[in-house]
Parts: sequence; structure tokens; C-alpha cells
Amino acid sequence: MAEQPQSVSVNIDGAKISVPKGTLLVEAAKLVQKEIPVYCYHPKLGPAGLCRICLVEIEGMPKLQIACNTPVTDGMVVHTYNDKVNAGRRAVLEFFLLNHPLDCPICDKGGECDLQDFSMAYGQGASRLAEPKVSKPKAVDLGPTIVLDEERCIVCQRCVRFDDIITGERSLIVKDRGYRDIIATATDDPYRSNFSGNVTELCPVGALTSKTYRFKSRPWDLHRTTTTCTQCAVGCQMQVDERVGEVARTMSIPDDDAVSDGWLCDRGRYNIGFYRDERRLQTPLYRVDGQWTQVGWDDAFALWAKALREAVASGGEQSVGVLGGGRLLNEEAYLLQHLFRSLGVRNLDWRAGTQRQATPGSNAGSLQDLENAQAIVLVGESPAQLAPVMDLRIRKAVSRHRAKLIRVGAIDPLPVVACTTLESAAEVPKALPAGAERVALVWDGVDPKLAREVVAALSDFSGLKTFIASGQNNARGAEVMGMHPAFGPGFAEVDGGKDFSGMVAAARSHSLRALSIFGANPALHYPDGVAIREALRNVPFLAVADLFLTETAQAANLVLPACGGFEKTGTTVNVTAVALPVNAALEPPEGALTDLEMLGCLARALEVQLPSVTELENSVIKHLVATAPSFGLGDAKVCGTTQFGQASRTGGPKLIARTDIFSGGGTVAHDGRIESLRPLPEAAVSPACAQQLGLSTGDCCDLRSGDQTMHDLLVEVRPGLADDVVVVVAGLPDDPANALGFEPVAELINVRRARELAPVGVSP
Amino acid sequence: MARMHKSLYNVGALLKGLATTFGFMFVRRPTIEYPSVKKQHAPRFHGLHELRRYADAKERCIGCELCAVACPANAITVIGAENTPQDRRSPGERYAARYEIDELRCIFCGMCEEACPTDAIVLTPRFEMAGLRRGAFVYAKDRLLVPPTEGVGTAPDERPNGIPSDLGRVAEIKSTTDVQTGYDATNRGTILKKQRKGLAG
Repeated sequence: MAEQPQSVSVNIDGAKISVPKGTLLVEAAKLVQKEIPVYCYHPKLGPAGLCRICLVEIEGMPKLQIACNTPVTDGMVVHTYNDKVNAGRRAVLEFFLLNHPLDCPICDKGGECDLQDFSMAYGQGASRLAEPKVSKPKAVDLGPTIVLDEERCIVCQRCVRFDDIITGERSLIVKDRGYRDIIATATDDPYRSNFSGNVTELCPVGALTSKTYRFKSRPWDLHRTTTTCTQCAVGCQMQVDERVGEVARTMSIPDDDAVSDGWLCDRGRYNIGFYRDERRLQTPLYRVDGQWTQVGWDDAFALWAKALREAVASGGEQSVGVLGGGRLLNEEAYLLQHLFRSLGVRNLDWRAGTQRQATPGSNAGSLQDLENAQAIVLVGESPAQLAPVMDLRIRKAVSRHRAKLIRVGAIDPLPVVACTTLESAAEVPKALPAGAERVALVWDGVDPKLAREVVAALSDFSGLKTFIASGQNNARGAEVMGMHPAFGPGFAEVDGGKDFSGMVAAARSHSLRALSIFGANPALHYPDGVAIREALRNVPFLAVADLFLTETAQAANLVLPACGGFEKTGTTVNVTAVALPVNAALEPPEGALTDLEMLGCLARALEVQLPSVTELENSVIKHLVATAPSFGLGDAKVCGTTQFGQASRTGGPKLIARTDIFSGGGTVAHDGRIESLRPLPEAAVSPACAQQLGLSTGDCCDLRSGDQTMHDLLVEVRPGLADDVVVVVAGLPDDPANALGFEPVAELINVRRARELAPVGVSP
Repeated sequence: MARMHKSLYNVGALLKGLATTFGFMFVRRPTIEYPSVKKQHAPRFHGLHELRRYADAKERCIGCELCAVACPANAITVIGAENTPQDRRSPGERYAARYEIDELRCIFCGMCEEACPTDAIVLTPRFEMAGLRRGAFVYAKDRLLVPPTEGVGTAPDERPNGIPSDLGRVAEIKSTTDVQTGYDATNRGTILKKQRKGLAG
């Protein structure tokens, strides 16, 4: 009975329920299926008490009360729907509609608009306003992704509060007062955020709209599929809205608390135009004498099988390599390793870039562990650009759960929330808050030595939870399914083969005869650009399955058109080992096959027996469930001996490539709708370094290492960086960061001052 | 004897029938020689659709898809797009980038006309839509939209040449070569007229 004071009983429209003390009336009403209209209130943002639409009658109170900001009290008797309440709501709506334009026929929100719905339910038919409505600017460009219609805004401030409470970026404000108030950025700069698209979903009216979806469709035209986002390893649940064979938009699932917390990043939301890009591959291409020739699928499989057989016959199984899996589904990754291991091939790897490990092994935590941690240690690059929605959890932990954020080996810009940047792993235990028990360690998977040091430094903490933020969506699935040189499915130890850097070395020494690459672009992402280009040139037979003619595919002998994430059905594993369903929402273009179909046909051409669909599904589930890896972060068994990012410097700053959510050569580079979101090639240096070299933000420079040069980089002076590094953006097709080769010592040359550069659009 | 009586009786019936036929020789013929002669329609006849323009030649259609929602036969497809300052098709922000009506599906009920908030889609009295391919009956904007030079700003029955002349007044004219150059709502109208002239000449 000690629990008694903690719960209160309330009577809502005759239904009696008992709820925990402090529950808001609007939430209590949901439990008895009574709808209370809201605009400013949102479960994730909390009450604001601005819109006054949620009026209810509470017995004993003389006036109507707002349900969103009234905690229930014991014995409260509430009426959510009677004449008095409706009259109150009608009056509130009349004020909202005074200056609201009659845009419903052309408004993107029309059909799913709360203002429309509640006006139908509670509003009065006609306006009593005799004067003309106040007119305001209509298509205001708020930033690269969002358009604001100032007339339609009802100033509920959901967007402003999202930018304050959820992202912590605080760039949106309400400007001016009274009927003139509008949403704007505080600095009048464009509204730029990795999460900007969420405000269009939060907006209860059509004031904030996405540039990519503007006037494309009406809500009732869309065919909706629930699937998992396959852009990064968080695996946010999302809804894909398709119309006439095109993805019109993607929407988050607000009650997906387990994975995405109800938000999507802009990469997941806006990078959807590539599915119908005209540059997409529609037929297999075979290179004859340096010229691309279109071939049929039957010929493509025959050529592929013949090349693999010949390579095995002439050079042995060691002369065949496979790269891929991080962008495939579990079923495809399993089949991939099954097919090639059946041929005796041991050179299998998913690691096309710098990341060495995807499965944290022992001490692996869940996203809830991350949110509830008292201290979060980021090792290497933070998830801000690798797995943005994971970064939102970190911001939540810091800003709302008072966690301490610590960075070791940081290369990216300072996070939005307060953090401590450390130089070495040994300082970590001292920096932890006193009495901290729950510590989360988030590693980018690049530098195993650093990870081992941090884990060793934190070995006293029994509540340590580890995470590896992967840029590739199913890196963890690929590892579990056995796309790894040292492990078979379920981390069963097998005879070791070469990892990808081993394959690159073998290719350079002409001992690799055939290489098949599935959904990876090592030409752009492998750290040593000079080596990978030579390796891809030297392999006698290179087959690449991808959506586009990427930098890697351009070096191939055989290119196979594959399908994207919205065109496939299967499962994927997210960053915290949750298996998530992927459902096809879109018909693939004619001529493209999924990797699963490709592998099935290749197996037939090679006369390899594949498991049946049921067997395949069973083994995938078995390995997903029953895996208990014995290794930890940075274990040499998983990471191998290859180490990137350990430059043996001799003077001059060290070059580091950081990720940006909109960098990459595949889906981002081939999406015309998000052209303005792609990052500019930049060279970021610390303030001390900038002072030493006489640089300031906005200057333009070139970077040189040996005989390789990167041209025309914008200098950015960025606090929080180490003094001996230059950070460039990785994965830009026009300026590949790996162009300078492996472990380069960069030299800034040819510096042009910002004031000397002619402003864009002005002739000198 | 009985047979003869019977056949005599039949002759009576025959004469009666012939009298009926003969009687019609003095009645005005209800048939007309279509297509060289055409009949007057009811004033509010529902025929082929057209998309109207404002007096400044801007399209009335804003691509809101309310016609498509109202359509009981699901015959209308609209895909909207945004006006740009360089290419302004309609007043306001949105216009119909694609507007298609499957005239074989259409039941000519006029619900689209009722639903339209800008009076953009109207049904004309035009009814001649013969074709050899089913695909040819999907009318897109190129055939539905009024040409910018003609009849802008007014409903078809209020235009100077009113209901297309080749549908209304032709009944008195015997020769198709005399057909007045009527208002052609669509490019197809022009083509048809040329074809008809070709047939006559």
C-alpha cells in the first residue's frame, strides 16, 4: 500500500482510470481513448501551453483548463467533449483561422493537417472577419532543406522547441510579436541541421515543408510501407511513401522509441532521389578492349563464373577475393560467404574503408544504455556524422540526463552539447564524474590500439557498455553472417584468409586474379587511394555490383546493376544488434537484380548448391540469436594487423579524413535533389595551427603530400582540433580524401586569402 | 378455302403495314447525315473536358487533385509542381505538371467540375473522340488545355463563338466545306477539322 500515493485516480468522461502521479491530463486521456486536440503539445517535447486548443472542463474549476499542462489530481472529474468545451475550442479555432490563408487545395499538409481536422471537428463554418487577412511572405527559404510559409504558421513553436530540446542547436526562434510573429533563425543564417526534416513532421499545419516533397503529391495518393532505413547502422524505422513508382517522401515513426526515438536524420529522410536517377545502371556492363558493352544477365553470369573458375584453376583459391556485406542484407551476406566459401575462397571481407570492427563483442550495450549512461566516452570520430540519430541519443543523455561527454582522439567539430576533449586514453578515468557507474564507450572502429587503451583504462567500471558506430548500415550483420576473413557465420573461427588490405597488397603484386565487390566503393573510401587505384587496375577480373557506375565500378571488367534498400526484402542488424525488417517499398528498375538474386544465379552458373529459402532464413535467425563473441573492442582477432591512422610523421600536420552525412560517391552523389546539402571540400585546422600558418576561415588552399595534390580546399579554423592535424572531408567524389595516399604528411601550399578571392557571382 | 381466306386476311395486314411506311414519307426524317450534318445538343451536355485559363493566359488549374478525389471512376491523374519565377504557369505557387484524364474510364458525370476550386476543369459539348488505340484516350494537358490565344477567361458557353460551331449550327449546312472555323478547344479539334475538310474536298 506504500505505492498508493504514487498513483491517482481520475474520471475522464465517465471512465475511471488510475495513473501515476504527475501524469498530464492529455496523456491520461489517451489511455481511455479520448482524443484531446493539441497543436503545441507533443509527447517528446512536453507541454508549452501556447495554443489553448486542448481545453477541457474540470469539475470544480470555474473556467476551462488546458489538458496539456494540467497534471491529474486524485478524484479529478474531467469532461473532454461537451457543449462548453466545444464552444471554447471553437473560439480558439476562430482566432487561429483569422489570418490563416485558404491554401488547403495546394497545401502539402492538406489531408493530414491538424488545423483542417480540428476545424472540421470543432470549428465554425464561416469566418466573422470582415477585414482582409494579414498577408505575409509565402515561400520563405529557411535553409537548404526547408521552406517556410509564414501565413500558414500558427506559432505553436514545436519547431523552435525541437531545435532547443531535442537537437540543442537553438537556431530557430520566434521573431516579432503579436500577429506579426514568424519563425526565423536567430542569426538570419540559413537553417542548417542534420535533423532539419523533423520540423516538417512536427509542424501541425503546412507552414514548414520539405523542398524535396513540395507539391509532389497529396497525402492520400501515397502508398505507405514500413521499413528500416538502410543509410547508416542505427536502423531507424521509417515509412516510405511511394507514388507512381517514385519515393515521394519518407516519414519517421513517432513511437519507435527503441531505435530512432521517433526522429530521422536528413540523410535518411532526403537521400531518396537516387532510386530514379537517370544515371542508375539498368543492364550489366562488360568491358571489352577498354569499351563498355551492354550484356545480358545470362552472359554476365557465364562470364563471371568462367572468370572465377579460371582464377581458381590457375592461381588457387587464394587468388580470389570478395569484398562486401556492409551494405547488404543479412540473407545476402550469408549467401555471399556461403557461395564463395563453397568454392574454397577464404579472402572475404566487408571492410572497404578505415573501420576495422563492427561488433563490440562483450559488454555490448543497447541504445537505452547509451541514453541512461552517466558518462559517455567518444573514441575517434563521434557518431554525429556516422550515425546521426545515435548522436541525438548522446545529446539527450547529456542535456537531459546530465551525462558527461568525453572525447578522445577527436577529429570532428565540437559537439552541440558540452564536452571534454582529452589527448590520451590514460586521462579518461580521471575525467569521469565522481561516482559514475554507468559508462558508455562509443568507438568509430578505426583505431584498435586507442580503443584497447581506453577499454583498459576503464577496466574498473563493471557497468561499461561499448558501442561501435558504423557508417555502413549492416556492417554488424556482415560480421555475424561471416563476411570476415577470420570468422564464419556466428563468429565460428575458420581458416584465416586475407583481409581487404591483404587483398589490395596481393593485387598490387599481381597475385590476385579475381575480385568481386558487392555494394562497396573502396576507390573512394579505402584510406590509401594510390594503392587501391593500382590494385583495382591490376586485378585481371574485377566484378562490381552497384547501383551506379561508381569510382570502383569504373575500374571493373564486369558491372552488375543492383537494387537499393527500398527495393529489397530481408533483415538487417543495427548498431546495437537489433535485427530489423527491411521491406520492399519500390519496384526496382527493369534490368536490376537484388544481390540475393544475383548470388542465386551465380551459384547456378558455378554449380554450387545453395541452401533453400527456409534453410537460409533459419540459419540467418540462428546466427543472429545465438552469437556470443568472445572478443572485445579492438581485439586483434577481429581487427587484424592492419592499422590505419597511425602515421609515422616527420614534420608537417597529419591528414585526417572525417565523415559527413552527405559525403559519398554512390547514393548521395547521384541524387540531384540534395545537391545543395553536399559538403564543400574543406581543410580544417586548429586555431593555434591556423595562427602558425597565417590562415583564417574562408581562405583557399591546396594540400600536397609527395607528388599527390588535393586542390582548392576551403580553410576552416575549428576549435577543439589537435594542433598537428588537418581534417578534410572523406568520400567526396571530386576531391577524394584518400588521393594523397596512405599516412600522408600534408603540406598546405598555394594559399589564397579570402579577401583576394573574387566573391562568387561578381566579376573582378 | 380456309387457306384462301387466311391469305386474303394477310393481304389486309400487308396493306396496313405498307400504309404505315407510306405515311412516313410525309414525316420529317429524324436521322441526319452525320458527320456532314450535326445535331444541336442540350445546352448543358457533358462532353470532352477542357482546362481553362485566366484572361492573362495563366492556367487556372493549381494541381490540387480535388477533381481526382471527386472522380467516381478514378479517371483523373494530377501531379503537381511548383511555379518558378522564370516559368510561372498559374497564379500562386502550385500548378499541374501533369494532368491526365482517361476518357474511356470517364463517365462524364461532371463531379470534377463541381469539385474544382478555381473552375479550371469544365466539360464542353464536344463528344467526338473516336480512336483506334486505347492509349489515345488518355488526354493529357496538350489536348485538354485551352491554347493561350483562344477563348481565355470565359466559360465555353460565354465565348464569342459560344459552343463550338461545328457542334451547334452545322445542322442546317449541307456541305462540310462551309463549316465555319469554330472554336477548337484542343489541338485535336484542329486536326479533326482538317481531316474533315480533306474528306469533303
